[in-house]
Amino acid sequence: MIVSVPSLSDSSPHVVAENLGLERNGRWLFRGLNFQVPRGKFVAVVGPSGVGKSSLLACLSGLVTPQEGQVWYACTATDAGRRQPPSGVQKHIGIVFQNFMLVPNSPVLANVLLGRLGRYPWWRTLCGFSCADRLEAFHLIEDVGLAAYTHRSVGQTSGGEQQRTALARALFQEPEIYLADEPVSNLDAYLTGRVLGRLRQEAALHQRTVFCVLHNAELVERFADWVLSLDPQAPDGWKLREVRA
Amino acid sequence: MQPPQPPSSKQVAPRPTHTPYPELRWHERLNVLSVTLLLLGFAVLVSLPAVRGSDRELNYLANARRFLSYFFPPDFSVAGQALGALWETFQIAVMATAFAAVLSLPLAAMGAQNLAPRPCVWLARLILNGVRTVPSLIWALIGVAVVGANPLAGVIGLTFYSIGYLGKFFSDAFESVDVTVARGLRAIGADPVQAFQHGVWPHAKPLVLSHVLWMLEYNLRSASIIGIVGAGGVGTLLHGFQEYYAWEKFAAVLFFILVMVTALDLLGERVRHRITQRLRPTDLS
Repeated sequence: MIVSVPSLSDSSPHVVAENLGLERNGRWLFRGLNFQVPRGKFVAVVGPSGVGKSSLLACLSGLVTPQEGQVWYACTATDAGRRQPPSGVQKHIGIVFQNFMLVPNSPVLANVLLGRLGRYPWWRTLCGFSCADRLEAFHLIEDVGLAAYTHRSVGQTSGGEQQRTALARALFQEPEIYLADEPVSNLDAYLTGRVLGRLRQEAALHQRTVFCVLHNAELVERFADWVLSLDPQAPDGWKLREVRA
Repeated sequence: MQPPQPPSSKQVAPRPTHTPYPELRWHERLNVLSVTLLLLGFAVLVSLPAVRGSDRELNYLANARRFLSYFFPPDFSVAGQALGALWETFQIAVMATAFAAVLSLPLAAMGAQNLAPRPCVWLARLILNGVRTVPSLIWALIGVAVVGANPLAGVIGLTFYSIGYLGKFFSDAFESVDVTVARGLRAIGADPVQAFQHGVWPHAKPLVLSHVLWMLEYNLRSASIIGIVGAGGVGTLLHGFQEYYAWEKFAAVLFFILVMVTALDLLGERVRHRITQRLRPTDLS
């Protein structure tokens, strides 16, 4: 049964999922998923392991095509907010992958700079990035506490440092939508607060939409505006609730 | 010791069930290794006539001793001439390797199954196989026919020959790369060239550099030979001494080639080892 949930907000939607359904290995992870997320919201995606949280983010990013339904974005930077599929707004989607997807042979700085590849044509980035971009990337690296590792190869850094590098790359991209798959799984309590605080700031101050997979209920209550919970028993048993208005 | 008692009809112990030994039939014993060894043995048997010789009464050992005696003592008065020709050989090898490395990169990317669509892969592999089939000496002959007997012919000949090999090696290097990083970059807006430059190239770079160095070593040896057909370098000098039966001078040139190739082999091996060690991708946790 496909359940439809009305929009929780009257403001114009930024991210829209229409009747979204994804099947993996003969099992529906979610089905009939409908939501309209307005600009500037922090949406926490929750649920037990294997329920399909990462797959939902993959659907939203366009990396995976859902069997049912579709995802739309209304980015201001693309055709004045006209509805676009994920493939049309890729450079406006910043992703913090669960396995980071960094280039291990390259330094932290080079990895962070990759966030802006979509902003320039290939011939502009063939010989590297401008001094202004490099300086800006360094400031972000400093922000996430990795200034001492700027020129260190990513492969020689710890899991937590790689995770912060991945976050810095997404921040450097200055996207309109953040899709963060467990961005604090390797971080201590202090860094977790800083990272989620930064994402929260991106949503609240810069009106960017954040989808963030989280496991900790306390963090969800502290940082999220909305919570989207997936149900392992019923693919159409997902719930969307507002944590704070 | 008491003889075993027959079990009573009421207390029949269940007979232990043993899994029968799994016998393999003759065709089940065959695998790739054994079939290859069998085929190799068969190939050796049918090729035995090749070592039969001319059926003439020849003293092979005496012939070899007589011919090698012409080489001694080597005439090192040609050292200056030989070193000049070796320098030309070096230049031919370097230019050919550089051209081949640049030209084979796009062909290799087209031929990598994880990067290009299937028709593209087939086309690139067809070209690379075709180029690789022709020996370097034939490519040098074509070069001589096109630009005349000079070092440029050698550069052209070795360039084409090297494209066949480097294209194949680079293609394999690209195929060994996990393209998930490149896919991730595409997902955040990178175009295909950017995804290749930043998502594939850093992983493949150590292997590619190692292959280029290997090709340079190989071309140095090849460039010594292709001069025989007039494509410049030390081969032309060797050919001249051979024509005039100046075997002492021929031996001196061979000695210099031996020194150069050995030195570059050792150096190349060390550099390649260091490149693959230092730039080996580290697993991300």
